[in-house]
Parts: sequence; C-alpha cells; structure tokens
Amino acid sequence: MKRLNLFLSLFVLLAVMLSACAPAATPAPANPDLILATTTSTQDSGLLDVLIPLFEAQTGYKVKTVAVGTGAALKMGEEGNADVLLVHAPASEAALMDAGFGKDRMLVMHNDFIIVGPADDPAKIKELGPKDAFAAIYNAGVPFVSRADDSGTNKMELSFWKKAELDPTTEKPAWYIESGQGMGATLTIASEKAAYTLTDRATYLANKGNLQLEILLEGDNALLNVYHVITVNPDKWPKTNYDGALAFAKFMTDPATQAVIASFGVDKFGQPLFYPDADRTDADLGL
Amino acid sequence: MTVLIEVRDLLVQREKKTVLEIEHLSVEAGEVLAVVGPNGAGKSTLFLTLARLLKAARGTIHFDGTSSLNTLEYRRRIALVLQEPLLMDASVKDNAAIGLRFRGISKAESDRRVGHWLGRLGVAHLAERPARKLSGGESQRVSLTRAFVLQPELLLLDEPFTALDAPTRLRLLDDLKSVLAETSTTTIFITHDLQEAAKLATRMAVMLNGRVHQVGEPRQVFAHPADAQVAEFLGTQGG
Amino acid sequence: MTDLLPITLLSLQVSTLATLISLLIGLPLGTALALSKFPGRAFIMSLINTGMALPPVVVGLFVAMSLWRSGPLGDLKLIYTPAAIVIAQTIIASPVVTGLTAAALQQLDPRLRLQLYGLGASRVQMIFSLWREARLPLLAALMAGFGSVISEIGASMMVGGNIKGQTRVLTTAIVLETGKGEFETAIALSIFLLTITFLVNWALTAIQQRGRQ
Repeated sequence: MKRLNLFLSLFVLLAVMLSACAPAATPAPANPDLILATTTSTQDSGLLDVLIPLFEAQTGYKVKTVAVGTGAALKMGEEGNADVLLVHAPASEAALMDAGFGKDRMLVMHNDFIIVGPADDPAKIKELGPKDAFAAIYNAGVPFVSRADDSGTNKMELSFWKKAELDPTTEKPAWYIESGQGMGATLTIASEKAAYTLTDRATYLANKGNLQLEILLEGDNALLNVYHVITVNPDKWPKTNYDGALAFAKFMTDPATQAVIASFGVDKFGQPLFYPDADRTDADLGL
Repeated sequence: MTVLIEVRDLLVQREKKTVLEIEHLSVEAGEVLAVVGPNGAGKSTLFLTLARLLKAARGTIHFDGTSSLNTLEYRRRIALVLQEPLLMDASVKDNAAIGLRFRGISKAESDRRVGHWLGRLGVAHLAERPARKLSGGESQRVSLTRAFVLQPELLLLDEPFTALDAPTRLRLLDDLKSVLAETSTTTIFITHDLQEAAKLATRMAVMLNGRVHQVGEPRQVFAHPADAQVAEFLGTQGG
Repeated sequence: MTDLLPITLLSLQVSTLATLISLLIGLPLGTALALSKFPGRAFIMSLINTGMALPPVVVGLFVAMSLWRSGPLGDLKLIYTPAAIVIAQTIIASPVVTGLTAAALQQLDPRLRLQLYGLGASRVQMIFSLWREARLPLLAALMAGFGSVISEIGASMMVGGNIKGQTRVLTTAIVLETGKGEFETAIALSIFLLTITFLVNWALTAIQQRGRQ
C-alpha cells in the first residue's frame, strides 16, 4: 500500500512537472514562433517588455526574445538561429547586409551615448568634445571601464579611441578596465572604482539610483546610438520565419508603435529613453 | 533412507586452478553432514557450489533425483546461513520474513511462521527491534530463524558460530541440535571446530586440498583416519 | 514583482523533472556499475566521476549548439524552451546520481548479495532488496542531483535564453535583475532560491544523521 502511494505521488509530481513543458495554445499565424535576437542593453531598458506583448496581441506571434551581446546577435542572424534582429551597431550591420544575411533593414529609433564618471571629473572632460574627452582620459591615466564584449557600446567606444589615434586595448594600461559584461554590470564596476565609462542613456537612467556617477558629456552627434530592425534572409536560411520577422519589422516602424517608443520612460525618468526615427533616413542621423 | 543430494565428478576452478575436485559425495535426507578441514581446503567453495552460487567447470549435482532444476527453483528449496548474519536495516520481524516475501507467501502464513520460529529460537521478544541493534548471538538466531521459516529441504550453514564467544556458541549449538532433530532437516554445515562437528553431525566429511578424503560417522573417523593427512589434521585439532 | 512565483515554480518544475529523469537513468546504470563486472567498467566509472564535475555552462554550450537551428537537432525546435533546460540539466545531474548510486551500493557488504540469493531471491528481488537497504544514501544521491541543477545558471541561460514568461528561472532572473540594477528584486529572488536549497540540504542532512544512528 505504501508502495502504491509512492507511485501515485510520483505520478502526480511528474504530471505537474510535465505541464511546464506543455506548449501554450496559439491563434492566427501558420508559424507563430518567432526568435528575436537583440542586445542586453536593449532588453535591460525595459522597452521590449512593453512592445513585445503589444506585438503578440496584435499579430498572434509568440516571440522568444533572446538578449545576448551584439556580436552574438549578429552571429545568430548569420547562422539562421534567429528570425529577426534588433541591434545597434550600424557598421557591423552593413557588413551583415553586404554578405546577404539580412533581407530588410529598417531604421527604428535612436538613443544616445553619454560619458559618465566621478562627480569631481579628474580628467576634466566636461567642456570637451567626445574625441578630446577620450584623449584627456588617456593622458590623465584615470580609470576607464570598457565593456570589452564586442557590443554596440563597445564598438562605439573603440571608434572614439581610433579617432583620437590611441589604442588602450592593445597597450592595456593599468587604468583601462575591461569588464566583459553587460552595461548594468559595467556601470556598477565604474561606480565602485570611480571610473569613467561610455554608456547608453537608457541604462544609466535605469541604474542611476545605485550609482555614484554623473553625466559628464552628452549631446554630440557622434554619440548617437542608432537601432535598426533586420529580417534574416530566408534565401540563406529557409527555415526562418520570414513572415513573422517582416511583421515584427513593420510593427516596430509603425506610427502607433513609434508613438509608444516616444513616450517610454517619460513618467519614470522625466525624459524619453528612445527617440523614434522610422520617418527619417540613416543620412539624417549622420550615418 | 533416500539420497537427497548427490554430487558426481565435480570440478570447480578459480583462475584456471582446480580448487575443488569431488568424485562422489551424497547426503541422505534427514542427516546432518559436517564438512571439516583446514583453511583453504575448499570447504567454502563446496558450500557455494552446493548453493549454486558458484558454477562448476564440470560435474553434476542431483537434488531430489533431478539435476535439471533451474537455479531459482533450486535456491527456493534450500536456505543459507552464513558466518556473518548480514541482517538488513529493518525490524527483526521483517528480516526473518524476507525469504517468505521472495517466495510470495501470504502475509498471514508469513506472520504465523515468523512468530513460531522467532519463539522457537528464543528471540520472539526482539521481533520489533531494529535488527542492527542486536548482539552477535541474537543476530545469528535471527539468521537461523530466517532460514527455518522457509522450511527448506536442504539447510546449508557456513561456520555459523565461529564469530561468537564460547558460551553463546554452546547455547546456540544446543538449540540448533534440538531444532534439527525436531524437523529432520537435511543439513550440510561447514566448520573448522571438530567439537561442533562431533556434537551436531550424523556424518562428517574431511576435506583437504580440494578433495574429500574421508566420510563417516564422527566417532569412526576419529578412531580410524583414512590416511596420514587426515590423521595429521585430526591430530593437530585434538580429538 | 508578480513574476516571482511563476519564476520559482518554473525553476522547481524543470529541476525536479531533470532530477527524476536522472534517477531513471542513474539508478539502473549506477546499480549495474556497482554490481556487475564487465570490460571497460573502470573506464566508465572514471567517465562518471568526470561527469560529476562537468561545468554546467559547458554542458549548456554543447546542448545549445546541438539544438540551434544551425545544429544537428535544430528541427526539434527545442531551443529556448523549458524542455531544453530539462535536457541540459538532466545531462548535468545524471552523472551525479549515477556515481553516488554506485557508491551507495558498493558500500554494502558484498556477501549480502550471496545471502539474499541463498534465501531464494530472484535477480530483481535481490536488486530491490539492495535498494531498500541503501535507501538513505540513494535518497542522498537524488538530493545531490537536485542540488546540482537547481542553482546552476550557465546551462539555463544558454539553452533557455532567459525569456520572460517562458524560460526565466530563478538563477537567470537574478542575473538579469542585477544587471538592470533592480537589486531588491534580485535579492527577493535570491531568498527564494536560498530557501529551496536550504530546505533540500537540511532534509539531506537529517536523512544522513538518521542513518548514522
């Protein structure tokens, strides 16, 4: 009798366990599963937590949002492991499009990068432009934290070092700290070490309460962080859900969605985190 | 008197070496055969082979007139008692009933037999006790109970009292002797203690170097050893 | 944070299921390793011991590579599902359960098998008797298996993708919330996880202490 009870409880337990794996019922589209590859900073901003449910409700697609580093997201597009990409590394995106892995590429929105650092600004970058600011940090030898993870933010940082004709990534001076992590973790490190770092405004605002960093440089055109949505080319990868990817791309550039993007974050931070750009071109943003 | 078990032409090898070679050995129903001999004589090998826990390279074992019982059927007609009682982590009662459970005997019948035999072997008061907490003598009584509840046609004992102190051993010996007499259970038991053999056995087999040198009533064997080696073995043990 | 309970529930579901499957694999396999002698046994034992120390993130990477669309099993469409996490965690827990089952049975007196056979046990009855005899260390093996997966993050992250409402488990959620600066939420999730691991370890210790009497 004890053995029977044991089997019954195990059976019930198993049934409860298996319910975790049971697929949910889905409506309309023929292939409802859509894999969206995006970056950790995009996810961390919380924007997708608002937009994805809207998209799913409107279209019946079930989106799997996988947030990885920019490099990994682009790679997923190249290998057909994602259906649609939402990324912000224009140079690398161009390479992806040239190689034929992306079919449609649409401008969605931008936010901007800012340089944050300790309030007393030891390298005195406050009045400088971004290129000179990086040079000042280099010459002062004050701590700087790099994402060092091939992300969009990292690529922007590296472009500035290049413009200033400096190369701390190769030289690896003691003040150059490579975190290898997402923006939130990198900001925490910078805060703890009273270091400078390049960050997108959205992540900074979201974490501001826990940081002892101030905005020291902002507003320059060169600091724009531009987001595009790219559908993975079904000619290269027939198994991708192109219909779903295109639906998502159209959704992101749709005026109603753009309005949602424009108002995101205003009540929490007093300013929007993203600026919608679907009605503009790359050239307008200096790309 | 019918022959219950008969061994013919038995050859057992371990790593290509012959450890047991018996041309003929038979045990009659109801008798108690003691197998004596020094360490390494092959007694345990014979024991394991008779229990069909060890495979012979050659030879037959006739049991109750047949040599074609499958292993499980055979083993369910015998019972084993080893030197260490090896009781399980459960009550004395559950330990005693284990062989009955294997055979699918009903609970009512099982309880009846266990109750009777625990009483007969003087450990009824320990029935609910965790078996791990018994003394050496008590444990071995439970091991004997475990065997007798099965009403085996053949009982095999391997030095069952060697690990016990002298007074415990004597008491157990007496109890076992009377139980064997009551039940007329055919018994083969291994021992290196000649006094035990003399006390319990109807016949005694002397094993040396893997062979049976002599079989006979204990008094006969002591009085007339078959060869010099047997004499030496019996002599060194005192007789 | 209304997600707290679904996340905790999912963690419990996948890790418990993975542990149960590991039991189905590990119990027979560990028993065979403990009781049989066959060529290559020592080799398999050393594989199991190595397997017990497999880094979860490495398991996650290899399972992910297999389950990606670009991988050999991509057509199964298991990537980024709870089932994928169960698969990865089963691979992590199975060596633990197998190795500890084998150890538990090897600790039993080898003559016990002979005694049981000599009382008329069939092979199956003998094995069940040994399992009953070693039930405390076997339960410990099960709990060790569970412990090895409930707190792992590498595999869950790689094959699950930490997708909100779908594959977000306690460990991946903690990292996410920390990365977003939501420390209070991260701490709340951590307390849930700690409570689970504490309860499991407490039960394990209690079982072992009882066996020691």
